[in-house]
Amino acid sequence: MSALQPQLDDVAQRLRAGANAVNDIAALEELRVRFLGRSGEVTLVRRGIGALPPAERPDAGKLINDAVAKMEAVLEEAKARIARGALDEELERRIDVTFPAPEAALGSIHPVRRIIEEISEAFGELGFATVLGAEVEPSYYTFDALNIPADHPAREGFDSFFITPELLLRPHTSPMQIRTMQAHRPPVAILAPGRCFRRDAVDARHLFQFHQVEGLLVAEGMHFGHLKGALAYLSRTLFGPEQRVRFRPSYFPFTEPSAEVDTTCPKCKGNGESCSMCGGSGWIEIGGAGMVHPNVLREVGYDPAVVSGWAFGVGVERIALARYEIDDIRRLIESDTDFLRQLQ
Amino acid sequence: MRLPLAWLRTYVDLPDEVDAIADRLSMLGFPVESIERKPSITGVVVGRITAIEKHPNADRLQVCTIDIGSGKPLTIATAATNVAAGQTIPVAQIGAILPHITIAPRKMRGVESEGMLCSAEELALPAEWFEDGIMQLDESLPLGSDVVAAFGLCEPILEVEITSNRADAMSVLGIARELAAAYGTALRAPSFENPGSAPTPAERMPQIELRSQDCTRFVAQRVEGVRVAPAPSAMRIRLAQAGQRPIDALVDISNYVMLEIGQPLHFYDADAIPHAHLIVRDAAPGERLTTIDERALELDERALVIADENGVQGLAGIKGGSASEVRASTTSLLIEGATFVGARIRRTSARFALRTEASSRHERTLPPALADAGVARAAQLLASLGAQLFAPVVTGGAIAPAAQIALASSELARLLGIEASSDSIAFHLRALGCEVNVDGEKLSVRPPWWRRDLTQSVDLIEEYARLEGYDRIPESLPCVPATTVSSARYRREREAAHLLEALGYREVLTYSLVGESLLGALAQGGLDERARSVEVANPLSEEQRYLRASLEAGLLAYLARRDERATIFEIGHTFARGENAILETPMLAFARAIDTVEQPEWQEEGFARVKSDTLAILARLTGRTVTVASGEDRFLHPGICASLSIDGHPIGVVGRVHPYLAQSFALARPIYLAALAFDAIPEYVAPTYVPPSKYPATYRDLALVLAPEIEAAAVERVAREAVGAECVGVRVFDEYRGAQVGPDKKSLAVRITMQSPNETFTDAAIDERIGAAIARLHDELGATVRR
Repeated sequence: MSALQPQLDDVAQRLRAGANAVNDIAALEELRVRFLGRSGEVTLVRRGIGALPPAERPDAGKLINDAVAKMEAVLEEAKARIARGALDEELERRIDVTFPAPEAALGSIHPVRRIIEEISEAFGELGFATVLGAEVEPSYYTFDALNIPADHPAREGFDSFFITPELLLRPHTSPMQIRTMQAHRPPVAILAPGRCFRRDAVDARHLFQFHQVEGLLVAEGMHFGHLKGALAYLSRTLFGPEQRVRFRPSYFPFTEPSAEVDTTCPKCKGNGESCSMCGGSGWIEIGGAGMVHPNVLREVGYDPAVVSGWAFGVGVERIALARYEIDDIRRLIESDTDFLRQLQ
Repeated sequence: MRLPLAWLRTYVDLPDEVDAIADRLSMLGFPVESIERKPSITGVVVGRITAIEKHPNADRLQVCTIDIGSGKPLTIATAATNVAAGQTIPVAQIGAILPHITIAPRKMRGVESEGMLCSAEELALPAEWFEDGIMQLDESLPLGSDVVAAFGLCEPILEVEITSNRADAMSVLGIARELAAAYGTALRAPSFENPGSAPTPAERMPQIELRSQDCTRFVAQRVEGVRVAPAPSAMRIRLAQAGQRPIDALVDISNYVMLEIGQPLHFYDADAIPHAHLIVRDAAPGERLTTIDERALELDERALVIADENGVQGLAGIKGGSASEVRASTTSLLIEGATFVGARIRRTSARFALRTEASSRHERTLPPALADAGVARAAQLLASLGAQLFAPVVTGGAIAPAAQIALASSELARLLGIEASSDSIAFHLRALGCEVNVDGEKLSVRPPWWRRDLTQSVDLIEEYARLEGYDRIPESLPCVPATTVSSARYRREREAAHLLEALGYREVLTYSLVGESLLGALAQGGLDERARSVEVANPLSEEQRYLRASLEAGLLAYLARRDERATIFEIGHTFARGENAILETPMLAFARAIDTVEQPEWQEEGFARVKSDTLAILARLTGRTVTVASGEDRFLHPGICASLSIDGHPIGVVGRVHPYLAQSFALARPIYLAALAFDAIPEYVAPTYVPPSKYPATYRDLALVLAPEIEAAAVERVAREAVGAECVGVRVFDEYRGAQVGPDKKSLAVRITMQSPNETFTDAAIDERIGAAIARLHDELGATVRR
């Protein structure tokens, strides 16, 4: 055993004791300088090599180097301990996470747009394109091409604002059916959302302007069952997976067979005796639908013997009233900030 | 249409309660809008007043002796003044339950009263349509029989909506036909045989002249020996239940037939029509008609009229005239049952705002055969009152049978998505009155005369689906084939909305139709929009006379009315009058109020904010560089307005609201607006990636002294051109005016950043380029460098 060993052991032991005792990085550095610095204690030991017999000197050098490495490891360990100690102190901090934070400056899109987007996205997944059109349309696109000739009693149902006898504010987005079919060969699958106008006096349930989303699919092999499936899909998209739809026969000149479409009342889920939304019927009306009338297909140059199609139209404001339980349709127009914030 | 269930039951057995019947009707395409339920009434029987005496102790009471067929007369005291011996009246016996009372024996001023005589109101009928006091019943009714059961007084009344294609369903019989088909029960239709067969004497023979093709059939019949008196109780009560006021037997019969089978009739006083000669023709301009309800109308050739030799006697299919109406002295009738082209009736009815029960049926175009049926029914009812009938006289061509419609069961399956056998299709169509021949999968169908809406195979497919029940068709989602239609416009609108949302704007909807309150406020702010605005020909009110010419006006009104601090946007169409057309423009506009801060007069923080929002949106939507220049806009402050363009094409403007407008809308805060035309925004181009240079970028800042009118954009452009391709950024970042640069000058601080893809710039190379820039800025813009 080298003669230096006891000395080294002593130095190492004191260094270890010192390292265990310090609690800050500066003191640890002082310790390092005191033991391992240029004129530190290890250097003093190293000077003792010269007093050893030459044969022992190489071993003694290695002995010292090994001891230095161990001491450095001790210091590193202490350093890590001190650093974590600082973090642990940080970990003791507690703030009141419930303290109100300032509101982010995010804006909002209108609930009408949100509903249109949800429908557009859901049907987009099925392969439908979404198209936009003009609000002022010739009567050809609003009526004639849709199998509603002049003086047809059904025109009364679309009590419209006219600019000239031939030009009016569209009472539905159906002109986009005609325009799209005239511009494209079948198949076509479109959604046409947009603002529409009818001469309804304004009250809690009516506006003279409203939004409609119309869907149209014309291809080979389309049938009424697909239409029912599509409206069920629409209804589930908007109101949840349990929704059911009910088709009641009706009359629209541009479709046949035609139907009024009801969906499970979203408020009472179809079982409310005295439900204020559905009046106890368990259903709310969401729109009209039907198989595209052969006269309409012929008008756009499609062959009704080869292709068939279906169309539906839903009122977006009506859906908004049901979905958000809005008491008055007028709140959707010039809505105040509170309304927009609640429905954002 | 009001539909008394009691009346309906006379034609069809209905194996359901009223709610189930209403559901059934809804699922057949006749939505029931409401059900009027009647109070329960029991214990009311037919009685006859056999004697009547003054009450011994009360001046206002009379004591009646009533025979109710039981052998034991009742004594009943009444305060009614219309009672007389011999009358047949409804008697509520002891224990009877009426809407508001239960009848118990009681003493009336010392006289024991054993029941109560009933008024119409006490029997849940409209009081104002029947006699004051006690209701009068037909003498022929068996004494003691149950009044409630006889007249269906407790049966509910349905309010049913009839779609405009169903001319045949505008009647009790029409709905009964539907229910009989749906329930598979027998229909008890009334006979349409006309009992009148005696030839009309020549001088009284109806002469009908059809001078217009718009009258498709005219059935006339002379009836004599009529008397104006109340109609039988059953008819009066039915009419009242159906919402039609009973008048007298003659008027009531014409109304009854219309409600029963759907054919409106008109009864003329035959003595008021010279030579029994009626002409269906266009009115002459300026011709006048006074209707039976005393409305004076001035007509022109657009109106179809029934005239006699002296002038107009009625507006065809809408309303009769007072000159030839049935009056108390009438003894002979000329019955008119006619059918017309619905559109003609509809136009006239709309023009005179004269919507009647008759016009609402005629405007759907009634089948010609219904005219014969209607006149026949009226003749039967008049005969039952003892009138003398002559044979009907028909004018108009022979009625062609409905054309055969070919239908293949495979076609039905193709459209409905369910298989149906030819026999099951035939079953439903026959239930509706069609004649059907089946040949394998092919059917040949002839619709009944009353279903003129059935003309092609798809009509029959709908009938099958309706009767089979739409709920029997299973839901399935189609496999949608790939199409060529693009969603690009919609996607861009959606993206713009979401960018604005992210920038803090809230979307609002304002009205597309505007009026004086908005246009007036604009005009007061120096902006007259009336000349450019498109007018609606038939507005609901003055407040909705014009199509909006801008989104900005709506946003200003919103801020003024709702919340001046709101940060809002709208996406919508605006309209302007063009040379020969209406210019419709999809627009995006947004507004933000920014509170005034301390700032030098040449700066506008609010403007900078909205400008940066605008540029950010355009950058994202187009991927292109937007050029900003000072601009003009009718809504904006002339000195705080920028026009935006891409590749030289204008896209929109951004700026501060014109102070006159702000004042007119009473907006206290400065409002900043941007308006962009969607269709002017070019489509998105994907940027090309430039890898970072390996060599460092270097910049120099210059303080330039210039004339105040020199724009930052000019400085940036000149500096960029002078430095050349290695200039990777020029940005003016500060402006100063004041003592240090002297009057009529401003100082702009500009940072020019350079970078080479090939080398690290030496100071000399940088100085050379900056020197070139300074020289160009001086030469072109008169700029000097401030040291």
